Amino acid sequence: MSHKPRFKIALLLLALVAWLAVAVYGYTQTITSTSSDGKKLTRVVVGYQKVDPADISRQRGELAKKMKAKGYKVVFKEFQSGAALMTALKSGNIDYARLGDTPPVVNQASGLDLVYIGAGASKEYGTGVLVGKNSGITSIKQLKGKRIAYAKGTAAEFTIIQVLAKAGLTTKDVTLVNMDQGAASVAFAKGNVDAWVTWDPYTATAQVQQDAKLLTNAKGLAMNRDFVVATRKYAKNHTKVSSLLIKYMGQDMTWATKHPTELIDMLSKTLKLSKKIMKLTVERRTFSMAPVTDAIVAEQQKIADVFYEQGIITKKIDINDALLDSK
Amino acid sequence: MDQTTTSPQTTHKARSFSFSWAGLLPFLLPILLIVIWQVSVSAGWVDSQLLPSPLAVIQDGIALWQTGELPKNISISLYRATTGFVLGGSIGFILGLANGLSMFSRRLLDSSIQMLRNIPHLSLIPLVIILLGIGETAKISLVTIGVMFPIYINTFHGITSVDPNLMEMGHAYGLSKWEQFTKIIFPGALPTILVGVRYALGVMWTTLIVAETISSNSGIGYMATNAQEFMDMATVLLCIVIYALLGKLSDLIAKALESLCLSWQNQGGASRE
Repeated sequence: MSHKPRFKIALLLLALVAWLAVAVYGYTQTITSTSSDGKKLTRVVVGYQKVDPADISRQRGELAKKMKAKGYKVVFKEFQSGAALMTALKSGNIDYARLGDTPPVVNQASGLDLVYIGAGASKEYGTGVLVGKNSGITSIKQLKGKRIAYAKGTAAEFTIIQVLAKAGLTTKDVTLVNMDQGAASVAFAKGNVDAWVTWDPYTATAQVQQDAKLLTNAKGLAMNRDFVVATRKYAKNHTKVSSLLIKYMGQDMTWATKHPTELIDMLSKTLKLSKKIMKLTVERRTFSMAPVTDAIVAEQQKIADVFYEQGIITKKIDINDALLDSK
Repeated sequence: MDQTTTSPQTTHKARSFSFSWAGLLPFLLPILLIVIWQVSVSAGWVDSQLLPSPLAVIQDGIALWQTGELPKNISISLYRATTGFVLGGSIGFILGLANGLSMFSRRLLDSSIQMLRNIPHLSLIPLVIILLGIGETAKISLVTIGVMFPIYINTFHGITSVDPNLMEMGHAYGLSKWEQFTKIIFPGALPTILVGVRYALGVMWTTLIVAETISSNSGIGYMATNAQEFMDMATVLLCIVIYALLGKLSDLIAKALESLCLSWQNQGGASRE
């Protein structure tokens, strides 16, 4: 009778020890990233989302090396959602954030004192409205009365407004369904929604895997650029870091444009997507990162004005207020 | 009570003809589910793009294990979960103890804790980022918060529902405050506390998924949300299976702990009589 509990205790202890051992191993895994030689270097924290320009720079590694030579230690932090990225920027946990084109507008309207540091190339060919291959929808006009998936507050929201307007429709003529990319891709594949407004690599994934049709891309309607932004407080005191960061990131983007094969390899590995999908994505866009020009300010102003008209933001804003040398 | 599922050899009753059946029964549903799943994918009833077969999921698991990604993510998640559990469990236990034993502390703290208890963890994320940043501290503290409440409630409930007759008897025997606690209150509350531990182990894993969406590049929660984002269904399903297995494993440990502690209690009770 008495050997049973003892055996049980031994087994339990063994399980607990194994559990703890794995947990301790996990702990050692979490601290490897913050290694030594960062004593004298100034830390610069960049928040990014998967496969954006900052992620390409991170994986290539050149930017971190060049910044180190100038006395800065660049730390990249990955985020799964733009909202968490924004909160981290506001609270000072990250210094720079890579965002799409609409979040800076929405956040400026809600009172965040942010400044544009740099802007990337347009992604208008990979952004657009997808419809199922058997949907029979061939023109934008036919979207009337249909259910369209999009993600609120993203480039997709501006894109769908612009696309519908081109055909003389408004968002009231269709049923917009707010969904994140994961849910939307499933809903679209299952036919629960008739159309899906999204961007690459989601567009390319649906085109390759589900034979979806790109009803229209966003050419001339929505640029869907990448932006690097910072809070004004940080940007004001770190103009040198900003200019170096944009310069080196720009060099990485030039590399990306010139080396599509390496880039396709790198990105398809990161995302675990097929090379075919990444090829479609990479080949219909270019890469760049440079300071914001007047033309880009005008594009952003257009988004702000349209969002204000539609009631998406409640304050009229001037994009010039979000440039460093404006105040 | 349901010892038939864990250790059929120790049951004294009704094991005559169905020894092997009793042992297999708990696995019947999961196995059936996997077989139906595999058959319906192989037969083409469902699109394998949307729902990969169990075999594809296993292959994905092996591939991820070989690249070192899976062991790394599991161990990091286990570290976060364990630290959070130990911290949250201790805080919950101490608060439960304090509020169960002291009327003053109960008046002071209980209603505040009840208010905090029902806040969804997802809505706490912005607050956690602002207060604790985006590092490991933020993730672990979210697990701590999740684990704290079930342990607190069960400790508190266990202590307050100890049989008042026993307490009176202890009084009559002239037990000191400390003896009352170690001989009557704590043993009496132990079964309820252990139920809390079991429940908290489940909450630990569910909170961890949420916690691992705060700027991270490791952990099973990260793997799951990332795979979901890019519709890598094999990995999504793999993560679900891993969560199920980890959940079962922690439950087994909790159950073993339960049967050990309670068997001691029974023996003690028998010898005292």
